Amino acid sequence: MRKTVTGIRTRCVNPGNSLLAIVMVLAVFVAGQTRAETVARDAEYWLDRLGPALNMTSYRGVFVYARGDQVSSMQIAHRYQDGVVEERLVPQDGANGEIVRKGMRVVCVLPDHGRIQLDQVIPSGPFAEAFSSQLMPVSRWYQPALVGDDRIAGYDVVRLALKAKDELRYSHHLWLEKSTGLLVKSHVRSSGGTVLEHFQFTSLEITDSLSDSEFVIRTEGEEIARELAPKTTSSPAPRMEGWTLGWQPDGFIPAAAPRSGKGQAVAFSDGLAAFSVFVEPSRKIMMPTGASRIGATTVYMKQLEAGDVDFFVTVVGEIPPRTARKVAESVKVDDALAFGALGK
Amino acid sequence: MDDRLKETLSAMMDDEADELSVRRLLSHARQDEVRSQWQRWQQVRDLMHQGNLADDRVDVSAGVREALDGGFHKAPGPVASTRRGRERNWHWPAVAMVTLALVVGFGAGAGWESADTSASVANAGLPSEKAEGITSEAVGEPVQEVALQGLDEEQWEQVSRYLLEHAQHNSVGAGRGSVGYARLVSASGAGY
Repeated sequence: MRKTVTGIRTRCVNPGNSLLAIVMVLAVFVAGQTRAETVARDAEYWLDRLGPALNMTSYRGVFVYARGDQVSSMQIAHRYQDGVVEERLVPQDGANGEIVRKGMRVVCVLPDHGRIQLDQVIPSGPFAEAFSSQLMPVSRWYQPALVGDDRIAGYDVVRLALKAKDELRYSHHLWLEKSTGLLVKSHVRSSGGTVLEHFQFTSLEITDSLSDSEFVIRTEGEEIARELAPKTTSSPAPRMEGWTLGWQPDGFIPAAAPRSGKGQAVAFSDGLAAFSVFVEPSRKIMMPTGASRIGATTVYMKQLEAGDVDFFVTVVGEIPPRTARKVAESVKVDDALAFGALGK
Repeated sequence: MDDRLKETLSAMMDDEADELSVRRLLSHARQDEVRSQWQRWQQVRDLMHQGNLADDRVDVSAGVREALDGGFHKAPGPVASTRRGRERNWHWPAVAMVTLALVVGFGAGAGWESADTSASVANAGLPSEKAEGITSEAVGEPVQEVALQGLDEEQWEQVSRYLLEHAQHNSVGAGRGSVGYARLVSASGAGY
């Protein structure tokens, strides 16, 4: 760089000072750019890249996912081309199955597929955009810090720690590939530092040369194809008729609601973690009160009586049991009739 | 491995096992026994299946039962009565569910930890003014634990549905891409 500048400079002496000035400015600009590349990016920079990188990076690879005693792995090919996301996911353990997606069209071949609602499997589309922007205020609830460099699946990565500022949520560690910002590894950790959930690519190739053939269904089996209609409403309004939530941890805002069959459900997210609250008339079944955990996921159940009707309140999410309990305890049913209409 | 577990295993090969039984089986202490039993039956099934590929109406599973000494009890009646027409895909969901669980080595419930053994729980010092609903709980006490293995079938059904719905939402929601998928497949594939 310096060499070039010097060379230009000597040639530019004669044409005059104005051209020299331009060249100098250019040189300084370029040099400044170069220096910025080498200076360590701050944590906010990487947080900003996280969301877009998930959709707009093209890659293929295999990742493992562990929570509690469970370990599973999946193969993924992801392509972003002409503004369209194409994806093929193949569980690597046990059953043959796969999810293939092109834009809004999804074909799903999965064990027990009947239970997976395709339009909710999709991490992109309008919802994902909404959520990506919600990643912004994450630093209000988590203390972001760069904790060094590492190498994952052959790629240089930067490791980002998001330490929960309160004990209402878990801490997260994210490993992002340096050139794209792609999430290649993540931990969900308790306040004591125990890793509760672990996600990591074991092999990864970030490349733009993914052929069409990598997005073709190869599994034989019952296929379900579905066209995903674009969501008409941009704000996912929580379905909370007839009950209210008296408390939720700071920073958790209503998100896309899961679809509960007979009752009402609402979901909250703080940009990193999410929990869902389900309220249903309990009919004949009695549920115990208390929490169960698998990895970072807590299920807190309780019964609630309102107007001679018993309700289940269930909180499911990647939050500590105490937070889940507090959320569940704050549910108040003020209009049991609203459920009656819905339940039938 | 007692007869009840074998019965479940057999029923799983026929896609007739109920979820609760499968969970019991998968939480069985001797997973190696379960696995080898499964593999033996699988081999027999494969043999018979190959020989009968052309004929959809052959009840392969019944053949397997006979071949394996016929000592197993009939699976629950209502399910058995719906078997006609299901032979075509019987091998798919059941085998999928079980191999996923056995090969990976987890069963539903196996990963569930006691909620009060974790440091995070003990340290989570939530102000618990809202906790009066739990009678015996005072400030700072651990959250009451529920062993999911202890739930009955209906209760489990309920809980697993919530788990799945949350995972589904999460795969859309949290902008976590593959992690969301992983949670979803993990929730749907674990034999719940």
